Amino acid sequence: MKSRLIAFASALAFAGAAFAQTTLNVVTAGDQNMVDYVNNYLAPKFEAANPGVKVRAVGTGPGDSGSQKIYEKLSAQQKAGTAEWDVDVAVIHQLASATMVNEKLLMPYRNDISAGKLVSRDTAKNALGANVDGYVMPMFHSQIVFAYNPELVKAPPRSFAELTEWVKKNPKQFGYNGVKGGMSGVGFVTGWVSAYSGIGDKLEKGPFDASSGPAIDKALAGLKDFNQYVVMTPGNAGTLDMLNRGEIAIGPVWVDMFYTWQADGRMSPKMKLALPSPGLPGQPMYYVIPAKAAHAQLAKKFIELAESPEVQADGIIKQFNWYPGIDPQYVQPKLDQAAWNKLFTDVSPQDLAKYGRPFPLSPYFKEIVEGYERVVLK
Amino acid sequence: MAAARRPADRWTGVALAAPALAVVGAFFIAPLAMSAIVAFRSKGGGFTLEHFSKAFDLYTTDLLFTLAIVLLSTVLIGLLSIAIAGYLTLGENPRAVAMLRWLYRWPLFIPFVVAGQVMRTFLAKNGMLNHVLIGSGLIEPLSAQSMLDWRGIVVAFVWKQAPFVTLLLAGAMASLESQHIEAARNLGARRLRVLIDIVLPQVRGTLLVGLVLSFVTMLSVLSVPLMINPNSPTMVTVDVAYRINTFADYPVANALCLLSLVLAAGGAWFYLRHASKKIEATA
Amino acid sequence: MNAMTLPSPLRSLLRAVLLALFAFAIFGPLLNLFLWAFAERWYFPSKLPLEYGLTFWYRVFQPRGNALASLGTSIWIAVLTVFLSLAVAVPAGYALARLRLPWRSGILLAFLLPQAVPNLPVYVNIAQVFYQIGLNGTILGVVLVHASHGLVLAVWIASAAFASVDVSLEEAARNLGASAWTCFRTVTLPIAAPGLIASAIFVFLESLDEFTGTYFVGVPDVTTLPLLMFNASMGGNYQIASITALLLLIPSIGFMLVVERFLKADVLAMVGR
Repeated sequence: MKSRLIAFASALAFAGAAFAQTTLNVVTAGDQNMVDYVNNYLAPKFEAANPGVKVRAVGTGPGDSGSQKIYEKLSAQQKAGTAEWDVDVAVIHQLASATMVNEKLLMPYRNDISAGKLVSRDTAKNALGANVDGYVMPMFHSQIVFAYNPELVKAPPRSFAELTEWVKKNPKQFGYNGVKGGMSGVGFVTGWVSAYSGIGDKLEKGPFDASSGPAIDKALAGLKDFNQYVVMTPGNAGTLDMLNRGEIAIGPVWVDMFYTWQADGRMSPKMKLALPSPGLPGQPMYYVIPAKAAHAQLAKKFIELAESPEVQADGIIKQFNWYPGIDPQYVQPKLDQAAWNKLFTDVSPQDLAKYGRPFPLSPYFKEIVEGYERVVLK
Repeated sequence: MAAARRPADRWTGVALAAPALAVVGAFFIAPLAMSAIVAFRSKGGGFTLEHFSKAFDLYTTDLLFTLAIVLLSTVLIGLLSIAIAGYLTLGENPRAVAMLRWLYRWPLFIPFVVAGQVMRTFLAKNGMLNHVLIGSGLIEPLSAQSMLDWRGIVVAFVWKQAPFVTLLLAGAMASLESQHIEAARNLGARRLRVLIDIVLPQVRGTLLVGLVLSFVTMLSVLSVPLMINPNSPTMVTVDVAYRINTFADYPVANALCLLSLVLAAGGAWFYLRHASKKIEATA
Repeated sequence: MNAMTLPSPLRSLLRAVLLALFAFAIFGPLLNLFLWAFAERWYFPSKLPLEYGLTFWYRVFQPRGNALASLGTSIWIAVLTVFLSLAVAVPAGYALARLRLPWRSGILLAFLLPQAVPNLPVYVNIAQVFYQIGLNGTILGVVLVHASHGLVLAVWIASAAFASVDVSLEEAARNLGASAWTCFRTVTLPIAAPGLIASAIFVFLESLDEFTGTYFVGVPDVTTLPLLMFNASMGGNYQIASITALLLLIPSIGFMLVVERFLKADVLAMVGR
């Protein structure tokens, strides 16, 4: 009771809110543009439709560390036994969502909102092999691709085999961020292992076979050799940063980060994208509602709005050039053909369907990443 | 002197220090103890050293790398701050002294994360440093190097922390009695000798405080290595973040924290030995 | 043959060159900050921004973004942190310097801990405790976390500052009949003041630099500008990171100027007595 009083008093003092106003707390991992999206686009729409409600958006930082911070906050409240949690809607990555569902930190809600029927992709039910059905809705889908400078790279490698040859002829022109700097590097590594271990399908679909260690290690040994000809970059942003300064000519990046950088003037508009065979992983970011959110009903309404076809078309695709979270057939009618085609300037829908893969299942994922430390870094 | 020996002061001393201890005890040491427990607890709840053995297995190189980098940075910071503070105290050209005094403080106000960011763009292969070096003809365009490895981390640390130690040192030097310095100069001693033989011994305490604080701070910085060189070998803080964010592996992360603490304690031990000698000398 | 024996014009030249190099070392990296704060487009192959503009300033200062409110909160928290830290560090520093304390080394080491340990895992535990006692989401909670971090600077520097005060001066005052408190107030404190002021500046800067603890204990009710700066920096959003860094420079430098001016007057006043 005392903690509720203190929290209430603080909210009054520092939000400067009137008595009748409810504050919906949206906490999002990812870049600042995610916070801006909520603040500038979603919030005004939501507040207009729900008078007396104020939406407050906070960012926790890019990458899985941002999602992990949200997990830690919810976990701390769970362990402290707080009755009502201070996060109403959270936007997180797949890895954290699996952990959160496991530890019962989330509330199932997808079947309670009508937009829940608009997703049929596997990613709405499955996060790295963990069953998250009902707890998540994809906000948008992102994909790791190679970004390259067409003036320096006349014919980009179209497969991992071509890439391996290419780096020998063009040393230090390819860069990626290893496993410790961000998921685009991790995705490249898992893509490499899928390509060279011979068990690519099993890595993604299962079942988990403990004897696949040697196949993975063999692929990683090849990666160790490959690393001699490439530059290691400092993180997701580091790869984009080096592309920005022309220090590397090609590297794996997240499509959403790439377009954001282009829109913010940090990447030349001439840069192009390519998706090599047999593929690179992609993942969505999820809307979730914490199990003891203070305003669960409002949270559901908020996500309902964010996942409506109009908002997905106008906000996600038009504003950011990101792949939609709900199924494309619901979103496409809301856009003109030009806007829709812009999504597929460099990577065609067919390529995306063939070479856009999920990350490996969680136990394989751990084996690959730990194997990297054991085999490649030693 | 006589005052300190009265037994009542023992408890006065403890009472005076109690509030500060309470703040750090409740709001850091207690949570740290909770972390330490996690580092030693096995899945079943018993005591185990497996997390430490895993930490050593994977990250011994990084631990040594961290120690080496931070030690090197500390030494460089010491040399640089002695030089700058020395010139501020003994310099004879008032304009140069004033300019130096204005210049050296700027990095103080730059947070570590921003220092990491600016160094990443400054020290890169196509960064500003190389542009200037190439533009002034000092190096060939083809031999431009990226300093985004251990050297970048050292540069960022020295750039950010040297002003801190310099500020402390300059203050300590300024409050020295100028008669000693003047006497030595009148006898014909060169300024460098005055610095080394007269000024430095008197400000050794402050220098040590600054260096130990810097050493300890640099050990726990995450943003700089993450932005400049997170790929192996890297600093232990990056590995802590990596274990947490990719594997949610709090036990090994906490084990690494404790190992980092041991390194820091080693550095602190130097100061404490010197400080207690000084207290005993004046008592 | 060393620098001292060079003829005067050569010496001036050497001095000028060294100063210029030093200025480049300090301002070169900072120039990047200024450029990015005003750059709208900057990419290879240009060495300087292609387009300048204030778009990102508008983005930072947009009304819903709360940048000014965050800045205000950050400064307020930093000021409170300085007060709290000094309030507990001055007596502790004096005790460590002058009085015989049991476990003296242990006490000094205790203050070192918050700076010595990568604090990510530890803050998780603090969050849990604060949720339990209701301090989460409050300014007081954030100030306590910042203070525990900054106390090492305050206590160690205060202790060194008091230790450097000549004991004979204090003894002289006591022999003249001054009480312990008067002696402290009129002799010890003024001499140690420069060190204490320095520690205040560092605690202030440290507080403005802190974001991990602020996130765990403050968000979503208490948001500070360093949080925004950290997220923008890590995400590679150089424009916003540079702008927020420049914004944070203002209170930092302002605090130092104010405090140094106040110090000089006070110390000079003491000298006459």
